[in-house]
Amino acid sequence: MNIPGKTEKVANDKLREMQCEFNPLSRCDGSVMYCQGATVVISAVLGPIEVKTQNLSIDGSYLECNYRPKAGLPQVKERIREAAVRDVLELALLSEAYPRSKMSLQIQELEDRGSIDACALNSACLAMLIGGLPLKCSFAAVHCIINDQGEYVLDPDQRETVHQRASFTFAFDSLEGNLLLVQTKGSFKIAEFNDVESLCRSASAEIFRFYRNNIANYHCRRPEGQKTSEDNMET
Amino acid sequence: MDSGSAIVMPGERITSIEEVAKEKRVILGPGLRRLDDTVVASKAGPLRHKEPNTFWIDNYQRRYVPARGDLVLGIIKGKAGDLYRVDIGSADIASIPYLAFEAATKKNRPDLNPGDIIYARVLNASADIEPELVCVNSNGKRGKLGLLADGFFFKCTLNLGRLLLRENCPALAALTRELAYEIAIGVNGRIWVKANSLRETMALSNAILTLEQAGYTEIDKICDSLGDVLQA
Repeated sequence: MNIPGKTEKVANDKLREMQCEFNPLSRCDGSVMYCQGATVVISAVLGPIEVKTQNLSIDGSYLECNYRPKAGLPQVKERIREAAVRDVLELALLSEAYPRSKMSLQIQELEDRGSIDACALNSACLAMLIGGLPLKCSFAAVHCIINDQGEYVLDPDQRETVHQRASFTFAFDSLEGNLLLVQTKGSFKIAEFNDVESLCRSASAEIFRFYRNNIANYHCRRPEGQKTSEDNMET
Repeated sequence: MDSGSAIVMPGERITSIEEVAKEKRVILGPGLRRLDDTVVASKAGPLRHKEPNTFWIDNYQRRYVPARGDLVLGIIKGKAGDLYRVDIGSADIASIPYLAFEAATKKNRPDLNPGDIIYARVLNASADIEPELVCVNSNGKRGKLGLLADGFFFKCTLNLGRLLLRENCPALAALTRELAYEIAIGVNGRIWVKANSLRETMALSNAILTLEQAGYTEIDKICDSLGDVLQA
């Protein structure tokens, strides 16, 4: 995968270019390297796997989520991000499909050049899709800021966030576009909040299209053919 | 099979199945679930249909989920009471009782040690209990099941296992033309091979792993060149 070293300025109302590579890691059940502009993360999922007795639940699977920063150990900031990803995943995961098991998600930040929360969430969703974990719906997260001139900047690069007045991260589900996550920081009016929300909502459609196209490409590498019974070896 | 090209995403309602379901019973395979009166996808991938009424979502998954009747390769992990613990790559460790082998009695126990590989059939698979295996059929005969001695064992994707196990798979026939070998394929994405020499065994495993990225239609082409892979 070519990771752009330098990113050109993208229009304020456009998402930065998204790219992904499926299964870069060999030992997990599904992994994805996902980049949005120059922000890059790798997500890996395992599941369903054996669960510790203390976390065992008889009516659903236990979800574990780990976020690793680029360097050093996870601190409070990373824990908050981890909790946000877990909250969204808990809403999207069909946990009753595999009771008494664990779904494990690892997110490794490779480069943070803005919108890392949204990027982590989107990569988590792609990893879940590719790992074949049961989901109620897919989801997409979008980051947006209001800069000091009062302009809305969708999916900003890090240098654009230096002079921000407010920042927003929204996550939407794929079914009815319901809000799964709202994170806001800074000062803004309710009208601005509503504007940004509808801006992000329309941008999320592009992310869902990106998911679908990439999944389709991944499956089309192997053209379809009739599959027969899995169990035809005579014993 | 025109429905094969349609990619569905989790949460999507699949009306084409609902249409069929009005007329006859349908079987929903992996990745599909019933939600009240609707059929909803829970995985991403192409929707597949097999006549007359079976639907499922194809997904290149690597984690095995046990199902009754599956043939699997397992690694003995240890003994517990009158059971062996067997790793078959699923969420839980599977178990196989001493008495589930041919001609085994309370006195005459099978001699299996941790690390041994067995070819077994899944007898019981449910979300709430650990999977149970057997190495005999209902007549008490072992057939092709049981301990796999020597040979070479490797893991692959679940898809490759299914691909090789389908009826008259051209890949295995192509390999048979090149050399004599024994093979055991589990639907849990594990393969055991044995040929006359170590060199041949390794060549064989490499040849099989080259199929990993191939599609059903590409296989015919690749099969012609499998001989070259074996020579290499």
